[in-house]
Amino acid sequence: MTVSRALPLSRPDRLAGRLGVPLLLGAALAWPFLTVRTQPYLLQLSLNILIFAVLAVSWDLLARTGQLSLAHAAFYGLGAYTSALLATRLHVPIPLAMLAGGGLAVVCAVGLGLLTLRLRGIYFAIATLAFTETLRVVAKQVRFFGAATGLVVPPLFPASLVGQYLVILAVLLATLLVSWRVNRSRWYFAFTAIRTNEAVAAVMGVDVVRFKVAAFALSAFFAGLTGAYYAHVFLFINPFEVFSLAISVGALVAPIFGGLYTTAGPLLGAVVLRAGEEALRATIRSGHLILYGGILAVVVLYMPRGLLGVLVALRLRRPPAVAVGPAPPAGGAGR
Amino acid sequence: MLIFGTLRSGLYALAAVGLALSVGVIGIVNFAHGEFLMLGAYLGYWLFASYGVDPLAAIPLGAAGLFVLGGALYRTAIRRVLRAPELNQMLLTFGIAIFLQNLAVILWSGDPRTAAIPYKASALALGPFTIGLPQVVVFVLATGLTAALYALLGRTRVGKAMRAVAQDRVGSAIIGVEVDRIYLLAFGLSVALAGTAGLMITLQLSASPYMGLLYTLKAFAIIVIAGLGNIGAVVYASLVLGLAEAFVEFYVPNGGGWSEGVFFLLILLVLLVRPRGLFQ
Repeated sequence: MTVSRALPLSRPDRLAGRLGVPLLLGAALAWPFLTVRTQPYLLQLSLNILIFAVLAVSWDLLARTGQLSLAHAAFYGLGAYTSALLATRLHVPIPLAMLAGGGLAVVCAVGLGLLTLRLRGIYFAIATLAFTETLRVVAKQVRFFGAATGLVVPPLFPASLVGQYLVILAVLLATLLVSWRVNRSRWYFAFTAIRTNEAVAAVMGVDVVRFKVAAFALSAFFAGLTGAYYAHVFLFINPFEVFSLAISVGALVAPIFGGLYTTAGPLLGAVVLRAGEEALRATIRSGHLILYGGILAVVVLYMPRGLLGVLVALRLRRPPAVAVGPAPPAGGAGR
Repeated sequence: MLIFGTLRSGLYALAAVGLALSVGVIGIVNFAHGEFLMLGAYLGYWLFASYGVDPLAAIPLGAAGLFVLGGALYRTAIRRVLRAPELNQMLLTFGIAIFLQNLAVILWSGDPRTAAIPYKASALALGPFTIGLPQVVVFVLATGLTAALYALLGRTRVGKAMRAVAQDRVGSAIIGVEVDRIYLLAFGLSVALAGTAGLMITLQLSASPYMGLLYTLKAFAIIVIAGLGNIGAVVYASLVLGLAEAFVEFYVPNGGGWSEGVFFLLILLVLLVRPRGLFQ
C-alpha cells in the first residue's frame, strides 16, 4: 500500500485549527438555541450529522493502522442493542446503559481484532463485513432481541432537542479530542509504521498487536456509544437499520471525502456529505443518492487526498510533495 | 434438500465466477458486481414486459450490452485505480454501486418488478420430487456457461493469457501479452457474466434496485471459500454455499431467516481458519 511519507499529517489539522476552533465551537454551542424555536427540523438534522461525524472520526482512528473495517455498523448496533436491552429489561439508568453499550462494543472489538490480526486488505474488510451481517441476522432471528420488528427504547432526554444535541456534541468533542491526541503522540508513528509496512514496523519494535487492537477498541467505543445514543434519541431500533451496511459505508466515505488519517478531514467530510445529501434529497425526490455515488467515484479518481487536501493545496499554492493516503494512480489522472 | 442446494449453486457459480475473474485476473475488488447482475435482471424484465422477449433469448444481447458497459467502465474508471490501494478500489466500486442502484430507483422506482413469464410456475416431476422448471433450466444454462468459461480459460490463447496475467503481470507484459487489453476483456467478461446471471434471475424472482448487494456478498462468500484468485474452485465453493443454505432451511427451525446468515458465518469461519480458502 502506498502511504504517507513526506507531508506531515499535522499540516491539514493545523490549518483547521487556524480556521478557528474556538469560533466553530462557539457556533456549534449556539446552534441549538438559535434553531430550536424557529427551525426544529434543522436541529433534528444536526443530530444526524453529528452522529455521522462521530462515526467518521472514530472510523478514521482504526484506518490509521491500515485496516479497512466494515464493522463499524456492528459496534454501532451492539451499542444500540446493549443499551436498549439494559434500559428496558433491567431498568439500568440510561447514561450507564449507554456506557455499557460502548463497553460491550470494546469487548467485541478486542475479540474481533485479535481474531482478524492476520487478515489484511480485502480479507479484513470482508471478515468485518461478515461479522456485522452475522450480528444482524442474529438480532433479526432471536425474539429476545426484538427479532425483525425491533425494540422500542426509552428516551434519554424526553422532549428536549437541545439536551439531545448537547449530548451528541459532547460525544463528538470527546472523539475529536482523542483523534487529535492520537495524531500528536507516539501512537501516530506506530499507526503510520504499521500502515506503511507491518512487517518492518514489527522488526523496528512496534508492538503491532497492541496498537492494532487498541485502535480497534478505541474506534469501537465511540461507535458503540453513538449507537446507544441513537437508540435513546430515536426511540426505536431494528436490525436492518442499526446493523446496516450503509452505516459502515457512511463511516468510511466521510473520511475519504474529507481527508484520511486526519482529525478535521473526517469531520469536514461528514458535515459536507450529510448536509449535501439532505439538500439533494430536498431537491431530487427519488434516487438522490445517484449524485452521491457519482461524487464518491469522482473524489476517488480526482481528489486523492480529499477535500482537506484540496484546501491545503489551495492554501499552500503548490501541490504537496507526496500524496497522503489514497495515492494517485501511476500515469493516471491524479494530481 | 440436496437437489435444491445443487440447483441453487448453479446460479451462484455463474454470479461468483465473474467476480472471481475480476478479483483473480485484474486484482480489482468489485463491490458493484451485484449491481451489474441487477441491471441484467431489469433488462430481462424490461425486454419481456415491453417486447415479450423471453429472458433466456435475451441473454446474448444482454451479455453483449453489459460487456460493452464493463469495457467502458474499465476504460474510464477502473484502469485508473489498478495500482491504487485497495481502499480506493473498493470506494470507487462502492460509488459505482450506489450510482447504479439509484439509477435503477429513478428508472424503475423502488418497487420490485416481476416478469410474468408463462412457464415460471411449471414444474418437473422427477421420481418422487417436483422441481420448478425455471430452476432446472437456469441450472443447466448456468453450469453450461461456467463450463464454457473454464474451457475458454483453459484452452484458448486469450484464456491462457488471462491466467498468465493473473499470475504475473510484469512477466506477461515482457513476453508480449497486452496486459491492458486482457484486463479490459476480463472486466467486460466479468460484468457480462453478472448480467447473464441477472437475466436468469428474472425467470425465478423479481428485480429490485437493492438486490445487487446480496449477490455481491454471496459472490464474495463463494470466492473467499474458494480462495481469492482461485477461479477453478468457484464451482465447488458454490456447491458448498448452496448446500449449506439448503441444509439450514430444511433442518433448522425458522431456517428461512437463518439461512441468509449462513454465508457470513461461512466467510468468517473460512477466513479465520483457512484464509487461503478451502480448496487450495
